Amino acid sequence: MENQPLRAYARSFLRGQRVMSVRILLVDDHPIVRQGLRTLLEGRSGWEVVGEASDGVEALEKVDTLQPDVVVLDVTMPRMNGLEACRLIQQKPKTNGLEVLFVTQHDSPQMMREALDAGARGYVVKSNAARDLLEAVEAVSQHRVFTALARSPGAAC
Amino acid sequence: MKLRILLADDHEIVRRGLCALLQKHEGWEVCGEASDGREAVETAKQLKPDVVIVDIGMPYLNGLDTTRQLLQHDPHFKVIVLTITDSDQVIREALDAGARGFVLKSDAARDLVSAVEALQSKRMFFTPRVNDLVLAGFLDKGHAISRNEPPNLPTLTVREREVTQLLAEGKSSKEVATLLNLSTKTVETHRSNIMRKLSLHSIRDLVVYAIKNNIIQIQMPPQLRNTTEVPMA
Repeated sequence: MENQPLRAYARSFLRGQRVMSVRILLVDDHPIVRQGLRTLLEGRSGWEVVGEASDGVEALEKVDTLQPDVVVLDVTMPRMNGLEACRLIQQKPKTNGLEVLFVTQHDSPQMMREALDAGARGYVVKSNAARDLLEAVEAVSQHRVFTALARSPGAAC
Repeated sequence: MKLRILLADDHEIVRRGLCALLQKHEGWEVCGEASDGREAVETAKQLKPDVVIVDIGMPYLNGLDTTRQLLQHDPHFKVIVLTITDSDQVIREALDAGARGFVLKSDAARDLVSAVEALQSKRMFFTPRVNDLVLAGFLDKGHAISRNEPPNLPTLTVREREVTQLLAEGKSSKEVATLLNLSTKTVETHRSNIMRKLSLHSIRDLVVYAIKNNIIQIQMPPQLRNTTEVPMA
């Protein structure tokens, strides 16, 4: 059992892929959504969900303590919404290299623009998270932009 | 023999979360999944699950009408409704539709296992707020559960409710006809009957009616919302 990560790495290496370590913080007010996101993300070798938060205030605290590479952030949350949290994350001094990816129910170009204006690198609609999330995390972890609305396929640049 | 559960939610990510939660429980299996209400009804008819978990806000056929159709097909179906809000009106409609469990989506990680266990033991499961309302309604017939609410849909048939939702979702009569395997003319007849019964004059009126009566749900940007209220999934 203890050799599983090594085997996963070896398998991936043999497939000619480089395993890239990504530390992810999940922020959503619904635990069941966090569980679904976790299930999806932890299937990827080298990626680790290092923590979870249920609102923007908790997210800001955990960004400090956990130093993730990618924050997967919901928009509509109690106490502090995701847009505000994203703006404040950008203002933190020790978040060099940290990227924010929104996973939200808001399937609208206006909201996507607001999210990117707030400093996010990626935007994925919750109804299509299963389709787009892995590609989006991969893109933003490499500091590329990834955006996808429900009726348009994802685009990274 | 394992307890067989059917999950219906339009978000795959939520179904994954629910699946992970339920499959930790020994003796339970998720036998099927559906991404809208119509698919849920068809899948339930085929798989005959012991418990059906339905989200209220699903496309094509919402969770309340899914519950009604399931129980109309077989009154033995045990349905748990997942909801983003436990407003009086939603509670009343869920009870009226025949749901035996009522769980807030925000509390699903905590309550859903208890809800399924309750149904497994032939009991019901409701949030504390539902219990309070039902009890208060029993003690005082004039309580909020039976007053100050928009009227239900007493005059609409099951088919008319389906057509109402699809039209309110922006589909044309032709698209509705294709989805429901009807002729366009039949859909137009349903449409005019709906408008007449509800005294509505335009599609805009129909959309407003559908939103007010939880037939469809809308998203609101966070700027327009009070962030302390129960948020949407």
